[in-house]
Amino acid sequence: MTNHQVRLQPSNIIVEVPTGTLISEVIHLAGIDISQPCGGQGRCGRCAVILDDESGVRRRSTIRLSAEDLEDGYALACQTVIEGDVTISIPEQERIERRLVTDKSARKVELPFAYDPVTMQSVQAFQIHLSPPTMQDNIDDLSRLQKALADRGYSPIDIPLNVLRRLGTVFRDAKWSPWIVIETPTPPPGPARLIDISVEPIRPIGLALDIGTTTVTAYMVDLTTGQVLNSAAEYNDQINRGEDVISRIIYAEKKDLNELGVLVRQTIDTLLERLKLRTGIPPQGIHKVTVSGNTTMIHLFLGLPPASIRLTPYIPAANDPQSYLAAELALGVNPHASVYCLPGVASYVGADISAGVLACGLADSEVLTLFIDVGTNGETVLGTREWMVTCACSAGPAFEGAGVVDGMRATEGAIEEVWIHSETYEPTIRVIGGAKPRGICGSGLISLLSELFVTGVVDRAGNVKLDLDTPRVRQGEHGPEYIVAWSDETETERDIVLTKVDVNNLMRAKAAIYAGFTVLAESVGVELNDAKQVLVGGAFGQYINVENAIKIGLLPDLPWDRFHFLGNTSVLGSYMALLSHDAFEHTREIAQRMTYIELSADNTFYDAFTAALFLPHTEISRFPSVADIWDQEKRD
Amino acid sequence: MALSGLEIYKLLPQTNCKDCDYPTCLAFAMKLAAKQASLSDCPHVSEEAKAKLEAASAPPITLVEIKAEGGEVKVGNETVVFRHEKTFYHKPGLFWRLRDTEDLEELKRKVADADAYHVDYVGIDLYLDGFAIEAVSGDPETFKNAISAILSISKKPLILIASTSDIAKAGLEGSDGSRPLLYAADGENWETMVEVAKQGDVPLAVRADTLDELADLTQKIKAAGVEEMVLDPGVHHYLDSLQQLTTLRRLALKKTFRPLGYPIITFPGANEEVDETLLAAEHITKYGGLIVLEEFNPASLYALLVLRQNIYTDPQKPIQVQPGVYEINSPDENSPLMVTTNFSITYFSIANEVDGSGWPGWLLVTDAEGMSVLTAWAAGKFDAERIAKDAKTFNVEEKVSHRKLIIPGHVAVLSGELEEEMPGWEIMVGPREAVDINSYLKAMWTK
Amino acid sequence: MAVEIPKEKWTSAVREVTLGATSDEGGTRSHTITVGGETALPFLHFEGETPNRPILALDVRSHKPEDWSPLLRQTWGKAMEDPATWAQAAEEAGADMIYLVLSLTTTDGEPNTPENARAVVRKVLEATGLPLAVVGPGQAEVDNELIVAVAEEAVGERLLLGLCEEKNYRTIVAAALAHNHLVQSKTPMDVNLSKQLVILINDMGMPLERIVMDPTTGALGYGIEYGFSVMERLRLAALQGDKMTQQPMIVNPGEEAWRVKEAKVGEGVPENWGEWERRALDWEALTATTLVHSGADILVLRHPETLRRVRAVIDDLIGPKSAA
Repeated sequence: MTNHQVRLQPSNIIVEVPTGTLISEVIHLAGIDISQPCGGQGRCGRCAVILDDESGVRRRSTIRLSAEDLEDGYALACQTVIEGDVTISIPEQERIERRLVTDKSARKVELPFAYDPVTMQSVQAFQIHLSPPTMQDNIDDLSRLQKALADRGYSPIDIPLNVLRRLGTVFRDAKWSPWIVIETPTPPPGPARLIDISVEPIRPIGLALDIGTTTVTAYMVDLTTGQVLNSAAEYNDQINRGEDVISRIIYAEKKDLNELGVLVRQTIDTLLERLKLRTGIPPQGIHKVTVSGNTTMIHLFLGLPPASIRLTPYIPAANDPQSYLAAELALGVNPHASVYCLPGVASYVGADISAGVLACGLADSEVLTLFIDVGTNGETVLGTREWMVTCACSAGPAFEGAGVVDGMRATEGAIEEVWIHSETYEPTIRVIGGAKPRGICGSGLISLLSELFVTGVVDRAGNVKLDLDTPRVRQGEHGPEYIVAWSDETETERDIVLTKVDVNNLMRAKAAIYAGFTVLAESVGVELNDAKQVLVGGAFGQYINVENAIKIGLLPDLPWDRFHFLGNTSVLGSYMALLSHDAFEHTREIAQRMTYIELSADNTFYDAFTAALFLPHTEISRFPSVADIWDQEKRD
Repeated sequence: MALSGLEIYKLLPQTNCKDCDYPTCLAFAMKLAAKQASLSDCPHVSEEAKAKLEAASAPPITLVEIKAEGGEVKVGNETVVFRHEKTFYHKPGLFWRLRDTEDLEELKRKVADADAYHVDYVGIDLYLDGFAIEAVSGDPETFKNAISAILSISKKPLILIASTSDIAKAGLEGSDGSRPLLYAADGENWETMVEVAKQGDVPLAVRADTLDELADLTQKIKAAGVEEMVLDPGVHHYLDSLQQLTTLRRLALKKTFRPLGYPIITFPGANEEVDETLLAAEHITKYGGLIVLEEFNPASLYALLVLRQNIYTDPQKPIQVQPGVYEINSPDENSPLMVTTNFSITYFSIANEVDGSGWPGWLLVTDAEGMSVLTAWAAGKFDAERIAKDAKTFNVEEKVSHRKLIIPGHVAVLSGELEEEMPGWEIMVGPREAVDINSYLKAMWTK
Repeated sequence: MAVEIPKEKWTSAVREVTLGATSDEGGTRSHTITVGGETALPFLHFEGETPNRPILALDVRSHKPEDWSPLLRQTWGKAMEDPATWAQAAEEAGADMIYLVLSLTTTDGEPNTPENARAVVRKVLEATGLPLAVVGPGQAEVDNELIVAVAEEAVGERLLLGLCEEKNYRTIVAAALAHNHLVQSKTPMDVNLSKQLVILINDMGMPLERIVMDPTTGALGYGIEYGFSVMERLRLAALQGDKMTQQPMIVNPGEEAWRVKEAKVGEGVPENWGEWERRALDWEALTATTLVHSGADILVLRHPETLRRVRAVIDDLIGPKSAA
């Protein structure tokens, strides 16, 4: 096989590779990291590079590149192979937007229940007073400690080697009154464990984590008071290896399982650094960790091969893993801290949902409750304290602004709300931060779709009506589209549009979520209207406008006072489990009580999905409040 | 009435003990409601609950079994009026009616022909289920001989058509070792027929002109000790068949009317004025259990067997198309070759789009167990290995002279692996949406 | 003992749709045909009415289709050379309606034009007094161009125009609205999609009394069961009061059956498939009668013998009262 010289700019590195090598591999070989949010599927266009000469390469796919781009020599690194000598320029990578709404809106988290550290908490810190040794009282340091702890009921006790190494110094520096942190086994029996000793007073600190496919969230918690000292959220660094769980599973299978573990720990380290800056507490000062997340995320965190999750019969390696020491997991907290992963239900209903159910209170509810976690996987739980059913459906990332031409995260410059004039079809927009718009975020997309529907710019199947008398609709490069903002009004100096393909993606996402909970209700024979509460979770949940979400048929048409937005319920559940061992046990019990409904088992889901793939739904009678508006508009 | 999963759950212990091998009591209850599990799998269910659940689950249409050395036909146990509600379970048996007055050699020749009849339909072996032999002679010995003649050639199940118990008895003797259906008891002969059926432990057909008489008869016969019965409501036209058979199905399922809760036998060719094939087709679609044909014609039988296979396909399974290479707009060796999965909606949207675009093309449909492109990819049913394998199985190399394969834009990620799996092939990444196929081909495909 | 016949109580009916217009009504048809109106499942006369029998249309092409089975070409012979002659022959064969399909190209291989489509439709209208359906060749742009011209040419005739599909319905619906025609809404074998397209067309202002829905079906052996069940579900929904499923249903067993190998091909097939012509005719007839049972109101056929056989079945099913 022939080799070719590839010169990479601006770094001026030369790599020699055989015919057929992907440009993304070449770049990787050169030790340069480029962003591939879609996992190298040619979907996102983020890995575009510039060629000096077309003859040395072959483009397999040009999706996401315009005719202009092609003329300028752009090619997707993940979809273009080397066939000759060539020079490739890697453009300055636009940093993935780092500011997160969850951070921006961080507010004080209330204690979820009355907290009593003595009865609830497995980790305790206190000062002990040892009698100094004398010639008569000449037992060794370790025995002295064991004896003192035995007097307080801690016997036997495990003392890790590197704590033992520091015993003598600390005891003497602390004048025989050291501070210690101990974790009691929950439930007993089993030895208690010494986690740390110190001359200075120690506050016992815990970390509640939620590892989301997109976002990792951490609460730093004072285990004495139970209060959240600070919280932080950050994009999961695994995103560059695929934006959905399936891409990550395949990456782990075919490329590098270990790397994904490294990446998520890197994200957690970033969070720990930020928490340290804000609280002064170093990562080493964290004595206990609870972790929530979907089944795939937990697998990757623990380094478990996730392949079987996606293959029939969809069996994970572990739904309810045990606890492990931080050192074993190479997690940057105190190496002797226990790390507890919350239990999940099934491959596609993970610990994030058990945690969510714990946090939202469904498992103890007297009334029929629907819990919807709006995310890339739309998980739903329906039930009461007596029974619970759950399902998951792949909604895709459209509501998070991904997979949409001008979609973006809910940060500065995002259009978050749109109103359309019903005669001129001219939009009025509201932009986060009030500046020129750069794109449209999830709530903006919901609002836009709802307005397009109500004003009749799209028909109920989401087709853009090109025969309308307005310059706002046109045949674009990706099919019919609606122009939300003209290029001279935008930050990017390009038109911001919603294309038919975008509408399709949004429709599929909302239809999947709606179909999920309707099938769930049908499977047990209850009416959705009988749900007395609808609890919506997910980091995104705080921003859904109920009215618009009902208009497009994402949420059921129920009285608005039944809806409650809970934000990130997964981290909340993780926090509760961190505080109380009973709460942790409760998630385990919840996970065991939930009955998982496999939606692909028959045609019911597909039927419900197709019915929901309409605005707001094929049966508009399911949406009486929307039917009223619609009839009104049609009369006008 | 059937109970819902939640109703059944309330009768179970609700301990989630997993002794039934289901993760929760509710999961088990839902399987019970779907008739996919047996109550006996729960060791802890109370006697009271058991009684309630069993009453709700007794089959409203009795299962009837006809057997011979070479096969069996089971009919009955249907649970729905419309196939989309669940599925139709037991395909109606197709039988060919022969007469004992026929020359034995001629009879054997006919049986041999029909016995050898097999057609392959999408990998399924279709054939005639058996023979109905009628004692036209009125002579027990002749009847017996005719049966022996048939059995000397064929091992298929039989229906014995005899009007008196003497002849019936002789028929049973002749068919020793098998379990034929005895046709038929009527208002006149039922008492003696019952004795013969009981003695031979064979199912008994019951014939009457009205449903009222039919219900009277089955009750008497059941009281006399025969459980397995088949009803002949004596229908001869399209309309009376449709109305009578629909009524019988509804009575059994909606009213749980036990006296008429049996499968139905029909003779669509008995009336010379009707088109036997079309009436038999109606009986297949609308509630026939055993269908006895006058004529054995391979062309018509093939059509009927395929119809039966179609109507009795489980509609709950994802709608699939047959994997293979499909021709659109008469393609030639230079036409583009595209690949997709065998989920019918996916297939249709692509086929329609290509068809409508006017492009001649080849569409390779792979076996992805009826999943759409992304679902199949996620579940590992549409990967490079499978595509390469199906490309080989269906000989795409012989269909086209070029070596270019267009894959769906959603699985662009497969392009590299596919080029490895299919050496010499250039993998082109097509559009993600079927609507864009025309513009894609215009831009990317040079004729 | 007296057995009580269980009857379903339906609350609604299939909508009645009238095809064609006589000179009194602004057209030139010798008579009109009304389909739909059922208040019961197909032919269960004991629980409701079937005021109009299912009608049988014959498929006629604007230009001789070279790819049709030799069996069909033999039967129609020279009539196929000219759409007007063909339509007349179809009427003589007993068709209730002519289903005229405009070809993509003319006999010389030139693209079909609006002018040509106008001329063909004019000729066929003059050749037969039967109500007429006119559909395009199935390519969105061409369909729109041809059907808009036809709609204008035959203004007031209440033609059934098609095919309206979800991706391309607005132009044809607008033309039908403007020139007093009906439309055929075609969707791929799915209850929800059928319903959705009727809603979309109705949302444009087209009265439901002028929409016939085509739920699509497969031929025997090629997916007929999906079409069958979709139609049964649509009909059940219609009778239960679901307004947007109450359109009469049109299906095309002729086209479906004659494109499959069993009907089309006589050589190189397994011996047990039996005699070719009988198999081909059974294939079309079984496909058609099975769909009659699932609620078809208009069936488009290709072979006159099939039309005769299916009509005999419908005559019996419709019962003595309505058959008279």
